[in-house]
Amino acid sequence: MDLAAVVIVPPAESSVAIPEIRSHEPEHASNFHSLASLLTPILGNDVLHAWIERIRKLGVPSLWLSSSGQENLACSTLQAFASQGIQRFLTIKLKSYAEMDLGDLLQFHRESRNTVTEVHDSQGQLGVRVFDHPSAASGNCEYCAPVDAEHAAYPFRGYSKRVLSARERQDLVGDVLIGGCAMRPLGKEVAEQVWVGEGAKIADSVRLIGPSYIGAHTEIRSGATIGPFASIERDCVVDYGTTVERSTLLPGTYLASGLLIRNALVDGRYLEDLNSGVIADLQPAGLTARATTRRRASSSPADARAWGLKASSSAAEWRQVQL
Amino acid sequence: MLRRKLRSALRISELPVIVDLSHCETLNRDDIELLLDCAAQSAGRDTPIVVVAGSPVTQVLLEVVRISSLIPVFSSVEEALGYTKTGGMSRVERNQNAVEYLK
Repeated sequence: MDLAAVVIVPPAESSVAIPEIRSHEPEHASNFHSLASLLTPILGNDVLHAWIERIRKLGVPSLWLSSSGQENLACSTLQAFASQGIQRFLTIKLKSYAEMDLGDLLQFHRESRNTVTEVHDSQGQLGVRVFDHPSAASGNCEYCAPVDAEHAAYPFRGYSKRVLSARERQDLVGDVLIGGCAMRPLGKEVAEQVWVGEGAKIADSVRLIGPSYIGAHTEIRSGATIGPFASIERDCVVDYGTTVERSTLLPGTYLASGLLIRNALVDGRYLEDLNSGVIADLQPAGLTARATTRRRASSSPADARAWGLKASSSAAEWRQVQL
Repeated sequence: MLRRKLRSALRISELPVIVDLSHCETLNRDDIELLLDCAAQSAGRDTPIVVVAGSPVTQVLLEVVRISSLIPVFSSVEEALGYTKTGGMSRVERNQNAVEYLK
């Protein structure tokens, strides 16, 4: 039976301007926009690419990337696939990092003989589903049907982490830094639990406290303190005397001198406080900016545009990727 | 104007100075420079300065520029007043002790 693999990529809102400064109560954090995104690198790693590599191991010739704000695939899209003879679908909503053997999942699906298999971990659905679509032509879409007794739950007991908020993203960073999962920081370990990417410049007086990560072509200037649990992604500049602790700087972020960045995610001009969920625009105060010392790397696959998708799109967009 | 008033208050007032930012949604570069200037001026003096940061964004900004570690920051004027009453008392007592010592 032919298999179609589809990865549903949420719009990368963090790369576009946030229209206003927001603040909100932490208990409602999940209802609000967050700077967290799996389209930005985690310690130099590309989570989307990691999922694609897992799909490649299944031996399918290509996969489809869909960039859409909508959670579900349209029935009409499935019918178009079905008309090409595809009767089995693997869909992955890019909202988690999970070290999953997709071959084992497909085998489970075949053996269970259910039309839909949904992957669950201890917290519930992970956004990974296999389903057969024998009746697409009749409009009876199994994918859109509600989860019921005919849906088999595939229990996943390996490492998984949802990344729907900046806090969850930082939790994943922490797990990687302490070796709590299979992902490794992309760089050379220059001291115990301190990784540095290619071409990074670190002044002699910088205090590096592990576990920490400094991405490729990032510059850390004199007197700065990095760590513990700091992740400075590629092409950033941390100016004189600034401290970054239990925080992440997304690629291409400049931090002015003398700042204290603690429990935060910073993306260019915006800072999200991990505890309160408050997003503050630091640019009017001259504290952050896009780093200009080096052109932002466009070749990294950790970017929706690099995969041929628009960075932000309200309408569904499809792209076939040859494996 | 505000800068002059604040500096003057810090120079001549024996009472704590409360800077109420509760109506400020955010801070710009000049605001932060002024607060850092005031913190420097009040350091080592008997006139303390405290800040009321109304909005969560302002609180975050004050932490990022380390003003929170230099000046006490509160989320309401009432909290700030409560702090300055207890803090102010101890300063008055210290001043009286100093006066008595000079006598």
